[in-house]
Amino acid sequence: MATGTDQVVGLGLLAVSLIIFTYYTVWVILLPFIDSEHIIHKYFLPRAYAVAIPLAVGLLLLLFVGLFITYVMLKNRQVTKKAQ
Amino acid sequence: MTKLAQWLWALALLGSAWAALTVGALGLELPSPCREVLWPLPAYLLVAAGCYALGTVGYRVATFHDCEDAARELQSQIQEARADLGRRGLRF
Repeated sequence: MATGTDQVVGLGLLAVSLIIFTYYTVWVILLPFIDSEHIIHKYFLPRAYAVAIPLAVGLLLLLFVGLFITYVMLKNRQVTKKAQ
Repeated sequence: MTKLAQWLWALALLGSAWAALTVGALGLELPSPCREVLWPLPAYLLVAAGCYALGTVGYRVATFHDCEDAARELQSQIQEARADLGRRGLRF
């Protein structure tokens, strides 16, 4: 078995993914079948956010990936220039 | 057919089926809760796939079989090699 921080990080990731999956599944799949008078609807945002939030997060991720690639490429070019 | 072509085919088929059902082009009168579940379905599948990937990575990191003795031995061998090469003049 892995030790120390490895175990903590791994189990943390697993827990986060399970929480997100459960909340999202209840939101998208189960809520439409629950009576709109039920108290559980109080804990969930309006349905449109179920698509808007993952979309926004995905775009942010793409932004970070693009910025990282730009940064690495610029650093590479400077190194090549110095070598010349 | 290449794997990419297969994946694109499958995506195109499922995507068009979903679009046809969501827009109502097939003239089916789906019950309201079913329509409510149907239209965010692509986003849901993407999020579910992402959660599965994250969870699998986390689980495998947590259950990876460490070999502490081998790790310590390797570290000491690295120190030895560094000292040896440093003596022979190689600079790190």
